[in-house]
Amino acid sequence: VGDTLKSVGLDIGTTSTQMILSELTVENRASIFAVPELDITNRKILYKSPVHFTPLLDGSHMDGDAIRELVAREYRAAGISREDVDTGAVIITGETSRKENARTVLQALSDFAGDFVVATAGPDLESRLSAKGAGAVEYSRETGKTVLHMDIGGGTSNLSLIREGNILRTGCLNVGGRLLKLDNSGCITYVSPVLQGLCPLTTGERVTREQVAELARLLAQTLEMAAGLGQPTALLQQLLTEEAEAAWQPPREGCVISFSGGVADCIARDFDWLEFGDMGPLLGRAIRESSLCRGEYRLGAETIRATVIGAGCHSAQLSGSTVFCRNVALPMKNLPVVSLSREEQLDPEALRRKLTGQEGPSVIALPGFREGGYDAVTALAQSILSGVGEHPLYLCLEQDMAKALGQVLALHTAGDRSILCIDRVRLPPESFLDVGKPIGPALPVVVKTLVLER
Amino acid sequence: VFAETYGEYRAAYRRAINDRPYILYRKTIFKLLFCRAINMTGDFMNKQELSRMVADILEGMEIPPMVKGGEYKPTDPGPQPVDTHCQDGDFVPDVTELDLRKLYLVEQPENPEKYRRLKERTPARLGSGRAGARYKTLTMLRFRADHAAAQDAVFSQVPEDFAKKNGMTEVHTRCESKDMYLTRPDLGRTFDEENRQKIHSAIPGTPRVQIVVGDGLSSAAITANAMDCLKAIRDGLKLRSIDPGTPIFVRYCRVGAGDAIGDVTGCELVCMLVGERPGLVTDKSMSAYITYRPHTGVSESARTVVSNIHAQGTPAVEAGAHIAELIDTILKRKVSGVGLHLEAGA
Repeated sequence: VGDTLKSVGLDIGTTSTQMILSELTVENRASIFAVPELDITNRKILYKSPVHFTPLLDGSHMDGDAIRELVAREYRAAGISREDVDTGAVIITGETSRKENARTVLQALSDFAGDFVVATAGPDLESRLSAKGAGAVEYSRETGKTVLHMDIGGGTSNLSLIREGNILRTGCLNVGGRLLKLDNSGCITYVSPVLQGLCPLTTGERVTREQVAELARLLAQTLEMAAGLGQPTALLQQLLTEEAEAAWQPPREGCVISFSGGVADCIARDFDWLEFGDMGPLLGRAIRESSLCRGEYRLGAETIRATVIGAGCHSAQLSGSTVFCRNVALPMKNLPVVSLSREEQLDPEALRRKLTGQEGPSVIALPGFREGGYDAVTALAQSILSGVGEHPLYLCLEQDMAKALGQVLALHTAGDRSILCIDRVRLPPESFLDVGKPIGPALPVVVKTLVLER
Repeated sequence: VFAETYGEYRAAYRRAINDRPYILYRKTIFKLLFCRAINMTGDFMNKQELSRMVADILEGMEIPPMVKGGEYKPTDPGPQPVDTHCQDGDFVPDVTELDLRKLYLVEQPENPEKYRRLKERTPARLGSGRAGARYKTLTMLRFRADHAAAQDAVFSQVPEDFAKKNGMTEVHTRCESKDMYLTRPDLGRTFDEENRQKIHSAIPGTPRVQIVVGDGLSSAAITANAMDCLKAIRDGLKLRSIDPGTPIFVRYCRVGAGDAIGDVTGCELVCMLVGERPGLVTDKSMSAYITYRPHTGVSESARTVVSNIHAQGTPAVEAGAHIAELIDTILKRKVSGVGLHLEAGA
């Protein structure tokens, strides 16, 4: 029987807000005659909230007080308090005002999210979480197929290309069901600014089903281009989210397309076009009739809840089980990553150069090595010590060597100097790291791609 | 199953073997009915009825004709000899240099990429293909080579200058040779007077921690891992202000030799790095056995073990750092082995 972590996932989008509470089981997979090897062996969802409409002040700004109320209610409904929560993620999505909204939400939730390891994520992590939450990653791993997963929400579509269960790349498009909102008489109440130049419709105008369907087809076409099923035009460029890590490369190989998000429900089923007061039903229909659904496609095991389940169940991972930690107060949040390549890791100059300009503490990510024995570890420690200066010794390695390295660093520094040395975690450049309180000999970590304030 | 009486059963079975749609499934139906019939015997069937039923069943079954061994004629002509273009003095490629995790020999595979990825996760000999009902030549050769390497690891010696080069005193147990070592485990756990004296003079005072390096069943494991692991243990102990003491090397060493060293030195804890019995995966796997208050006759359950220390398992350096912490814990709790786990669980 292993330890358990209680994890909360909150997905606050411009359309809907959802919460789940899950329990992650951590077990030692190694025998008692070997060095421990902890792993998350089970993820169980204890509570799923209903899908709420996100309280908004205007078209795109969230109402912090109302969100606090909502989350407080859901905490009570789930029967948990702040102290029970070990880890989790709040994902703030939406096509506009992401940063302002994230700030509002962070302030509003400071009472709850105090011990959360992660507070906000970027579009890259969001795509990963929705692909995992929808079961697309598992499907790809089990079948060996390449899968293009699209989580089509209210404001954005998160894309992930998955091969053999590995997420190769992610992207984000401003395509969603609520870019256009209507009242029940067919009058437009909101047009998203991202549609500027694409759609002649304006707020207050009465529209026909066919007019909205035409816009929906245009958006579905953009998704086709993103899936590599049509020549990319300026349209694709225009609708790519600016915050995305790199320009989206449509896949060149044939792949299974998988859908989640609120719009996914409208692909499988026809609703009245005014059912939800947005273009979701027609967008779903346009996707079903597009070439996206002509080949092999599937709906996620979870659709509208994919992202929140990803946030609750898949945001935390475990470090290796032999790590070194001295004089470090955990949890630590939002550590920016300074990456050293295989060649740079033994070059103190490279480390010094990369650390200048870092204001607060950051974590040094390096690949490490398996060869070379203890002398190589000592050499690495010496190199790091001469390059690191007064900067805190926070290190994250890919290879299993953190405890040995940390130990050498500790021997050669004053006894009160903070050292955190973890391994078996790969940190992409430009990312941020959260480290939670230890669970057994390992540390739960969350790697994210966007943070707001330090 | 619907048959409640033997009559019903018989009728059902007759129906099953005669009705065309059922004909394909009649073996399954027969099995179901047979199970039911067996259950019924306890209720009302007598011996005669049972033997009648068995006779019926046998009648219904098509007994396959017996084939005599001599009648078997292979239709496959088998592999033709291939011209290898080898000349005198050439070497054939070394089979032990192939990475088994990348070697996939199945012909006409459905999804070789997927299988290769599976193979990367295990040292097991998967996807070896076959020649008829047997191994392929390459598989067979590699298997034999690995087996030979395992045997060599047992029979070969740690180099004579190993202890000296690494600043350790060398002693040996009562064994005089590898053969004696393998056939007399009892002698591998004790020392004669001369070696006891040697231990005594090599180790000053009463150490708290005594590190012992022993060849055990794999000399290759010790040559490959012991020193890296030892250095990491030493630094780890220093960091925790524990004197790592003077390590000692024991030839023809079994785990129990640590108990005898405990008797001689009076140390509080022995940590022995010893070569594991080699297998077909690796011949270089090392273990650490940590015993609190070691003495002759100490229970095996009092040992804490860290096994699988080798390049593909836990790297020696990282294992050393882990062992140092473990030693610290054991010294603090004053218990090792099963007791330590029980205490941790309580």
